[in-house]
Amino acid sequence: MVDFIKLEQEITNSLSKVTDLESLNECRIKYLGKKGEISLLMKELSNLSGEDRKKQAEILNTLKNKILSLIEEKTEELNDRNLNEKLSSETLDVTLPVSSSFGSIHPITQVIEEVVTIFGDLDFYVAEGPEVETDYNNFTALNTSEHHPARQMHDTFYVETQTDNMQNVLRTHTSPVQIRSMLEHKPPIRLIAPGKTFRCDNDQTHSPMFHQVEGLVIDQESNMSHLKGCLEIFLKTFFETDKLKMRFRPSHFPFTEPSAEVDIGYTKKGNQLVIGEGDDWLEILGCGMVHPKVLQNVNIDPSSFQGYAFGMGIERLAMLKYGISDLRTFFECDLRWNKHYGFSPLNFPSLIRDLS
Amino acid sequence: MKFTYSWLKEHLETEHQYNEVVDKLTAIGLEVESVQDTGLAYRDFIVGQVLEEEKHPNADKLKLCKVDIGREKVDVVCGAPNVTKGMKVVYAPVGSVIPVNQMKIKAAKIRGVESYGMMCSEYELGISNEHDGIISLEQDKEVGSSFADSSGMNDILIEIGITPNRQDCLGVLGVARDLAAAGVGKLKNREFKTEKGSFESPIKIEIQDNDICPAFAGCYIKNVKNVASPDWLQKKLKSIGLRPISALVDITNYVMFDQNRPLHVYDADKVKGKIIVRSAQDGESFKALDEKTYNLKKGMCTISDEEKVLGLGGIMGGESTGCNFDTINVLLESALFDNVNTARTGRDLSILSDARYRFERGIDPRSTLEGIHYATQLILEICGGECSEIVLAGQISETLNTIHISGKNIVKRLGLEITDDEIILILNSLGFGAKKSGESIHCTIPSWRQDIHGEADISEEIIRIKGYENIPTSNIRAISKVNKDILNSTQKIISKAKHFIASEGYNEFITFSFSDSKKSIFFGEVEKLKIINPISEDLDILRPSLIPNLLASIKKNTVRGIDSLSIFEAGSQYSSTTPEDQINSICGVKYGLSNSKTWRSEKKEFDIFDVKNDLLNVINYLVPGNKKISISDEAPSWYHPGRSGKIILNKKIEIGYFGELHPRIANKFKIKTRVNLFELMIDNVPLTEKNTTNKPQLILSDFQSVTRDFAFILDKDVKSSDLIKAALNVDTKIIKSAEIFDLFEDKSLGDDKKSMAIKVILQSEEKTLDENEINSLSSKIVEAIEKSTSGTVRS
Repeated sequence: MVDFIKLEQEITNSLSKVTDLESLNECRIKYLGKKGEISLLMKELSNLSGEDRKKQAEILNTLKNKILSLIEEKTEELNDRNLNEKLSSETLDVTLPVSSSFGSIHPITQVIEEVVTIFGDLDFYVAEGPEVETDYNNFTALNTSEHHPARQMHDTFYVETQTDNMQNVLRTHTSPVQIRSMLEHKPPIRLIAPGKTFRCDNDQTHSPMFHQVEGLVIDQESNMSHLKGCLEIFLKTFFETDKLKMRFRPSHFPFTEPSAEVDIGYTKKGNQLVIGEGDDWLEILGCGMVHPKVLQNVNIDPSSFQGYAFGMGIERLAMLKYGISDLRTFFECDLRWNKHYGFSPLNFPSLIRDLS
Repeated sequence: MKFTYSWLKEHLETEHQYNEVVDKLTAIGLEVESVQDTGLAYRDFIVGQVLEEEKHPNADKLKLCKVDIGREKVDVVCGAPNVTKGMKVVYAPVGSVIPVNQMKIKAAKIRGVESYGMMCSEYELGISNEHDGIISLEQDKEVGSSFADSSGMNDILIEIGITPNRQDCLGVLGVARDLAAAGVGKLKNREFKTEKGSFESPIKIEIQDNDICPAFAGCYIKNVKNVASPDWLQKKLKSIGLRPISALVDITNYVMFDQNRPLHVYDADKVKGKIIVRSAQDGESFKALDEKTYNLKKGMCTISDEEKVLGLGGIMGGESTGCNFDTINVLLESALFDNVNTARTGRDLSILSDARYRFERGIDPRSTLEGIHYATQLILEICGGECSEIVLAGQISETLNTIHISGKNIVKRLGLEITDDEIILILNSLGFGAKKSGESIHCTIPSWRQDIHGEADISEEIIRIKGYENIPTSNIRAISKVNKDILNSTQKIISKAKHFIASEGYNEFITFSFSDSKKSIFFGEVEKLKIINPISEDLDILRPSLIPNLLASIKKNTVRGIDSLSIFEAGSQYSSTTPEDQINSICGVKYGLSNSKTWRSEKKEFDIFDVKNDLLNVINYLVPGNKKISISDEAPSWYHPGRSGKIILNKKIEIGYFGELHPRIANKFKIKTRVNLFELMIDNVPLTEKNTTNKPQLILSDFQSVTRDFAFILDKDVKSSDLIKAALNVDTKIIKSAEIFDLFEDKSLGDDKKSMAIKVILQSEEKTLDENEINSLSSKIVEAIEKSTSGTVRS
């Protein structure tokens, strides 16, 4: 008769001394392997009979299960110890720097997209025209005849090609897009036309190339009160403030009558302009009711149709909204400037998320 | 235009403060550009009287004075030669600031004698250039009183911007008239005598071309004495920044700025025979008052005598008949000149003058005679003499234009409810004779409003006076949409491309649409792109490509120490200077380091595969769905011939180029490192209509895939695309992909050989491939590649 109690003690003892997974495995083979002590005893059971066999089998099974659970416990303990040792040797300096490689969107693109988003919501489509224009589209069709004093204020760039015996020009404003669009589409018309414009002027506050956005609405009833309503929505949305104050005052453009310039209220806090507060006024755009002669020039009957137009400088909008102080820096191509004033490429202006 | 508040009040009777008037000016369209308190600079100066005056003990040219300044008596050391006892002077106390040099007066010891304050010259006060002596004030000035108050220096200088249509406000009188209409006062009726001449002008006037000069009035004034203008006149001219010259000249200037009536005065003794107003002849020239000689062309309006050209009508007088202090007999001119002809002449000769500015905008014809009478009266008062009868050549139209307007149309245009009665009231206040005539309103346009032609113009007059602030604000959200799409396909492509490219690390630059012809010759036909009047020599053409300006920006940034530059521009380039030849393009540049050396990576420079990758990514983004992209090595000439490629979409569309900039061009731009760039031809991106929003069906095989690698020894010029194409063509259904995963060159392979390895993935959609099938496909792949490339598989 085997001394099971002694055997159990012996096994428990040797398991408790095990300090690594390899020795543990050796132990397991020694007792539970094919030729292990327990396995051999199991085999011997067949030599017994009746009650003895039943009794001894029961004891052996209990012992086997106990050993199995001891081995499992030990395995877990050893694994745990190994992991802790590993963890303590695996520290990294998480303060080491990493780098990002996103580029940027130019503030001009950002502002044009903001403007398009706002007017798109008001059902204006985006029209475009070429940067080289005919004299007719740029001036004459806009009621600015060859000797109109307003032409001299324009400092026009001329190129060597001609259309109808008149020198072509680099467009001095985005207004010729009005002409092209009205010749192409019949009213009702609602459009904005952002784009590059050119004037032969280069100093602190002027750049020979700059950007404008033109707006045009022609239908049977749009009047100055609609113009006011339109610009109010735009300016409040663009500057992201409901407190915006707006002032219309009379002005003159050959292609609108009545004409107005629009100022917005601001105050200066330190170096910052705060739009929507204060009592100072800043000119922001020009506008007016489209001149009947302009409509006649594009074969629209001014006794049936009327409407308004407006135009503003994109750089000016960008400077005021984003605190950019020098006009000329927009085109200087200084990477540091672009990274500072530029926008994330994932930033698509939206009226349901953020405009800027 | 500049004027002072006191000058304005000579025409306008008003109880309003100047700041209210200033606000009103802007509100009625006469935009105030600046307001300056001219007395401010003289605020601290006091009228003093010299009580005693003796020689300075230590300096011959200095004097010690005791000056009474009312509240005390002070000691002042003075160097002026004209200081005398009893003289009334302008005293600048300690602490005051001298206007001309912003010097602050301090108590000082001058050659050992204490001096408190200073006595001022006209120069020091910025009144004139007179600095030989101190100002001697009239004896009636009260000691201790403010100099600014007692000398009328307290005034407000107002500068307004006049829009080209408002020619009527180029004189103080016109501004006052508009303000009166707007309700801030009453226009004063300034009376002046109409001198009846006592003799017939000895100088006759003949107009040969009535189109360029409809009327010319002259007045001969004999025995005048041209003197320095009296104080009031000098002060007036100086107050708006003009330099007084002599009474005759100053009077004509004054009448121009006061009444908006340009005049000219000739020294009559220098005129030979009669005055002839005619078109110039080609080849004629004349020396103007600005001492420049101008070559005249046919059509220009000249004022001549029987020998020579005396002046350019409406623009500038000539030197030969100019007046000076010896002038005795004069001819005063007040004429009407055609505005278009005046504008053309002025522009052709590049002459800017106050007269041209006014005539090209249009002059009130009725001012012709009023102006000559007023100026004659002033000349007689100031210079004496005797005037002739007015001689008038040509005709001044007496009839005024009239139009009918409809109150309903005005309301419809302005969006403002306003009654016919109020419209009539406003128009009459502006000098329009307006009265109801049946359903419409009949208006007579005043002679001074050359800008009013139609109902739209009248609507501006009404809202200008009524006030733009009274226009209501109406909702503009359309009930039914007018437009289907806000952006068209090209606009969407450009916007998407910009954001995508920026997300690949590129920073968006915007450069001028101009560039330097000398540096752009590599990119197009620069002689077809010339600007006639460029802003500078190096911006003399429209750019044939986006590349040259971006290259110029590389240099600018590298000198600032930037060693890695990823930039792009989306914009127009041009193939000629006609409106049609504008091309949309995007150019991206990667220059310098792709990675700097960091703690976990070695430094690496950008190469053409960086830009190729970026370009292909953006093309795949812009042209989603099935497409065929092939790459050839035929890039344009500005690329490195061996390191560049062209991307062809669907066998025929040249959609983009990538590669290294041609080293010759890099050299021209003084760039020493390789420049990698791509161009995306936006206009060639197909504008695919979306037929369905569904994506193509997804077919996934559940059977196991197998990967096999093959390496080949190849001639160096074999292209990787040939290997891939040969492999894929073996079985387009089972071969899912073929990719190059290794490439090396080594002497052991032979000088003109390279090794390239390809990884092929095999997968059937019907079953698991067995060993035989795999081996058979593998052999076919090897065979196909060896055949198409003349290479050998490496074992």
